[in-house]
Amino acid sequence: MRAIAIVLAVAFFLLGILYGMGKVNFFTESGPAHAHHITHLVVCWVLALLCLIWARFQGSPARTM
Amino acid sequence: MTFAQAIALALLQGVSELFPISSLGHTILIPALLHWQNVNRSTASFLAFVVVLHLGTALALILFYRKEWSAIVRALVASIVRGRLSDDAQERIGWRLVVATVPVGILGLIFEGPVRRLFGSPSPAALFLLANGLLMFAGEALRRRQLRGGGKDGKPIERLSYPASLTIGVAQACALLPGISRSGVSMVAGLLCDLDHEDAARFSFLLATPVILAAALLEIPKLFVPDAHLVLLEAICGGIAAGLAAYLSVAFLTRYFRSNDLRPFGWYCVVVGAICFVLAQRGAIS
Repeated sequence: MRAIAIVLAVAFFLLGILYGMGKVNFFTESGPAHAHHITHLVVCWVLALLCLIWARFQGSPARTM
Repeated sequence: MTFAQAIALALLQGVSELFPISSLGHTILIPALLHWQNVNRSTASFLAFVVVLHLGTALALILFYRKEWSAIVRALVASIVRGRLSDDAQERIGWRLVVATVPVGILGLIFEGPVRRLFGSPSPAALFLLANGLLMFAGEALRRRQLRGGGKDGKPIERLSYPASLTIGVAQACALLPGISRSGVSMVAGLLCDLDHEDAARFSFLLATPVILAAALLEIPKLFVPDAHLVLLEAICGGIAAGLAAYLSVAFLTRYFRSNDLRPFGWYCVVVGAICFVLAQRGAIS
């Protein structure tokens, strides 16, 4: 589970960068004003952070989430 | 938008964000009912104004629950540093809030734009307000049936399961539809997950705080568009008015739900939703 969490964290982090660069346009508004999807970048990075926290809990010998 | 309209909209936002009657629905229906043709919801200055209203509402919620949020954040940080979960009540509430917030964030990001385009007019908003009222009646009826069937009442928030928290979070995402209330739908979900009215309301308000705050913070760039200064005074006064209205609303509702249920709000939504829908169909509001 820890490996999955880390892979997901990296995937969300990279996805965030791609959104920020405007290379990915899934689930975004269209038009020049929305070329850089900062909101999507932030949400992807928050999800990446949550995955890292999840990974940290998976590394613990005590009870898990 | 005149100053009086700005303050009226701010008070409406502050109250209807927390009362289970849908703020989004009301900010579509009320200007349409009053024929405020000068209030254009799609201009940059209006969007900047709305960001400040949301900031005011979120700050009021943080202020009202400041002790609880302080304890929750400290417990969450301690838990992350420790790398394992404990049975601390605030920590358990904190993780349940995190789990319930994730679906709102993801679904909001995916569906907010299309939903706003499809349903951001008075007819659908009125219809969803009517549905919101029926949902509250259905939630109360199902809850009573659960209790008659031996279901538990008054489970503390910290004893909610993670799937139940996730369910409440997904339910809250239905509030993307104008007319469906964030607090109403998450309270109904909370009731069906064995919380009592008081705790369902408390969880709903705690859950609303990061969502409203994040929505406002992510939209902060809209405050720096060229036209935003046109509504600077209205935005500042509106933010304060929305914050005051939100604070008084949450203070009232936390007392109200100690001994009352959602049905009065259900009646309000059904009646107002039905009237607005008929008026919209007749072309009296648009």
